[in-house]
Amino acid sequence: MKAVTQRHVDLPQGVGKLTPTWIAFFAAMAVISAMGAAAWSYQLNDSLIVTGLRNLGTGGGSPWGLYVAMDVYFVGVSFAGITIAAMIRLFDLARLRPVARIAESLTVVSLILAGFTIMADLGQPLRGFINLFRYARPQSPFFGTFALVLAGYMYSSLVYLYLASRKDAAALADYENNGLRWYHRLLAMGYKNTPEERERHRATSFWLALAIIPLLIIAHSTLGFVFGLQVGRPGWFSALQAPAFVALAGVSGIGLIIVFAFLVRLAIRGQDRLLPLGLFSMLGRFLMVLLFVYLYFMVVELLTLTYASPATEQRLSDALLFGRYAPVYWGAVIALVGSAVALGIMALRRSWSLGWLVGIGVAVNLAAIAKRYLIVVPSQTHGMLLPYDVGTYWPNWVEVTIIIGLFAFGALLLGVFVKTFPAVPISDDVPSQIEEVGRA
Amino acid sequence: MTKYAMAIDLERCQGCRACMEACKIENATAQGVFWMYVFRLEGDTYPDTSITFLPRPCQHCDNAPCVKVCPVGARFKREDGPVLTDSDRCIGCRYCEVACPYGVNYFNWRKPDRAFFSYRVDWDDPDIQAATGGNIPPYRNPTLDEPQGKEQRRTAGGTHSKGIMEKCTFCVQRIEAGRLPACVDTCPVNALRFGDIEDPGSPIRDYLRGQANDTWHLLEEAGTEPSVVYVGGSPPSQGQSEFEKPEGRVRG
Repeated sequence: MKAVTQRHVDLPQGVGKLTPTWIAFFAAMAVISAMGAAAWSYQLNDSLIVTGLRNLGTGGGSPWGLYVAMDVYFVGVSFAGITIAAMIRLFDLARLRPVARIAESLTVVSLILAGFTIMADLGQPLRGFINLFRYARPQSPFFGTFALVLAGYMYSSLVYLYLASRKDAAALADYENNGLRWYHRLLAMGYKNTPEERERHRATSFWLALAIIPLLIIAHSTLGFVFGLQVGRPGWFSALQAPAFVALAGVSGIGLIIVFAFLVRLAIRGQDRLLPLGLFSMLGRFLMVLLFVYLYFMVVELLTLTYASPATEQRLSDALLFGRYAPVYWGAVIALVGSAVALGIMALRRSWSLGWLVGIGVAVNLAAIAKRYLIVVPSQTHGMLLPYDVGTYWPNWVEVTIIIGLFAFGALLLGVFVKTFPAVPISDDVPSQIEEVGRA
Repeated sequence: MTKYAMAIDLERCQGCRACMEACKIENATAQGVFWMYVFRLEGDTYPDTSITFLPRPCQHCDNAPCVKVCPVGARFKREDGPVLTDSDRCIGCRYCEVACPYGVNYFNWRKPDRAFFSYRVDWDDPDIQAATGGNIPPYRNPTLDEPQGKEQRRTAGGTHSKGIMEKCTFCVQRIEAGRLPACVDTCPVNALRFGDIEDPGSPIRDYLRGQANDTWHLLEEAGTEPSVVYVGGSPPSQGQSEFEKPEGRVRG
C-alpha cells in the first residue's frame, strides 16, 4: 500500500468519526475511571487505613497486597509491545506488522497504569514522585520498578511508538476533511516522507528496538528480584523468580494483544484484510511457546517448594496448595494448562479459532493476575520466620475500585488512541528485506 | 568508636511485658503497634510442655535487609549502630517491612488524629485530660522528632506522620542524652542490657564476658548480623506456638 494521498474521503479505520458505540464506550469508561479516581482521593485523604492492607507479624495482615500484585501484572503486560516490534525487525516477521502499533500502544498504556498503581500503593505518593528519582538507589530492587521501568522503559517505548507513527501522521494530515488535522500535523512535525527521512527513521527505530530489548529483560527481571532476592520471606528467595517473571510477562502481554487486536478487528472496516486470521495464529503460536516455558518454570518451582523444603516453606506451600489460597492457585493452574492444551491442539490441527484465541487471551491474563497475587500475598500472611500467628488479607472495596478504575482508564486511553490514530499502520512503515510477505 | 548493642537474657526474662508497656509510653505508639514485643510461647505437648518468652525489639542489624532494599535511602544504619528511618525521606512503599525477617516494622496506616490510639478513648474524660495536659492527642515525641546524632537526620517515630514507616529506634532520643532505652530501663529483672559493645570496659561487655558460650542471634541463618544478642534459652522453633497474642489491631 502506497502512502495515502486521497482527499475528500473518510479517514481510514474510522479515525475521527464518532460512532454511537464508541461514545457509549467512552462514557462508560469515563464513569468507571471517575469512580476509581473518587476512591483514590478518599484513600489519599484518609491514608492507607481505608484499604485492607495491614502490618505483618503482630499486625496479622499483609503490607503489600492487590496494588503491588497489579503493578507487577501491568508491567508484565508491557512486555508485549517491544517484543513484537523487535521480532518484526530482528526475525523479519513481516506478517506481524499490522499488529505492531496495537502492541506498542498497549505497552505504553500498561506502563502508565503501572505507574498509577505504584502511586496508589505508596503511603506518601507525592513525596515518592520526587524522592524516587532524587534519592534513587540502584542497590534497591525497586530501582528497576520505579526508575528503570517508569522512566527508561516507558520513555523509550513512547519514542519508539512515535517514530513508528510519524509517517502515518503525515499521511493523515494530507486528508482535507480531517477534523484532527492540527493533531496529526503536530505529530508529523514536518515529516515529508523523503527517502532520507525514511532511512533515518528506519535506522533509528531499528537500533532503538535493539536497545530496548536488554532494557526490557532487565526491567522485568528486576521486578522478579524485588521478590527473588529476599531471604526473609519464604517462597520468594529463588533464582527462578526473575526468568519466571519474564515468561509470565510474555504470556499475559501476548494474551492481551490478542484480545485488544480482536476488539480493533471488530471495530474497523476491512478487518479481514488489515488484521487477517493468519496474524492471530502467529500470535497464538508465540503465546503457546511462552506458556509452555512458563509451565515448565512452574513445575520446577513447585518441586523445589515441596520436595525437601524447610518447615517455613512447607507452611507456605500447604497454604498455597491445600489451604486458604488453594482455589486461586488451582484455578490459575487450570486456566494456564487448559490454555496451553487448547493452543497445542489448534497448532497441531493447523486450524485456528479466533473465538478460542480470545478466550485463551482472557484466561491467561486472569491466571497471570492470580499468580502475581499468589507471589505477593501468601509469603507475607503465611511466611513469618518467627512464631507469629498466620495473617489474613483480602483486598477491600477501595483497592478493588481503584484497580477497576485503572483498567477503565487504560481502556479509555486506548479507545481515544484508536479513534485519533489508525490502529493498523496505513503506510508501509516497516521496511523488510522480504517484501510483501504475508500481506493478505 | 561507639557501637550500641543490646543483650537479652532469656534465663531472666519472665514475660511480664513491662518493656512493651515502657516502649508504648515512651514512644506513644498507636493501638496494635509494638516496637518492642515479647512472644509468649508454648512448646511441645503435655506432659513435657514448656513456656518460654522471647523479647523481640528491632535487631538493628549490621547487614540489614531493610537498609538494602529501601529505594530512597530513607532507612539507614547509623554509625553507632541504630537502624533508623529518615522521616523526611520515607515514601511509604513498605519494602523494608516486607524484607525484614523479624517483622519489626510498623507502618503508619492512619493519620495521627483522635482515633490514633483507639476509637474508645474518651478525650474529654478528666483523668485523661489531667494526664495529657489538655493536649489531644499526645502522640508527638518532640525529642525523637529532632535531628539526631552525627548524621543529623530526623527519625520516624517522633510524629507518627501518616504514610511512613516506623519501628524501634533503640530510643535514640534517650541514648543521645546518655540514658538507657525505655525497655532496658524498665525491665524489673535486668533481662535487658544495653551499652557500647566496642568499649571493653562497658557494662554490657562485662556482662557478656561471663556468658561467652551461651549467646546466639535471632535467625542467624538469615545473615543479618544483628546488634541484639540473646543469652541463654534457645531460638524459637516450629514446634512452639504463641499464646496471649495481641488483640489490638490498627482499625480502619
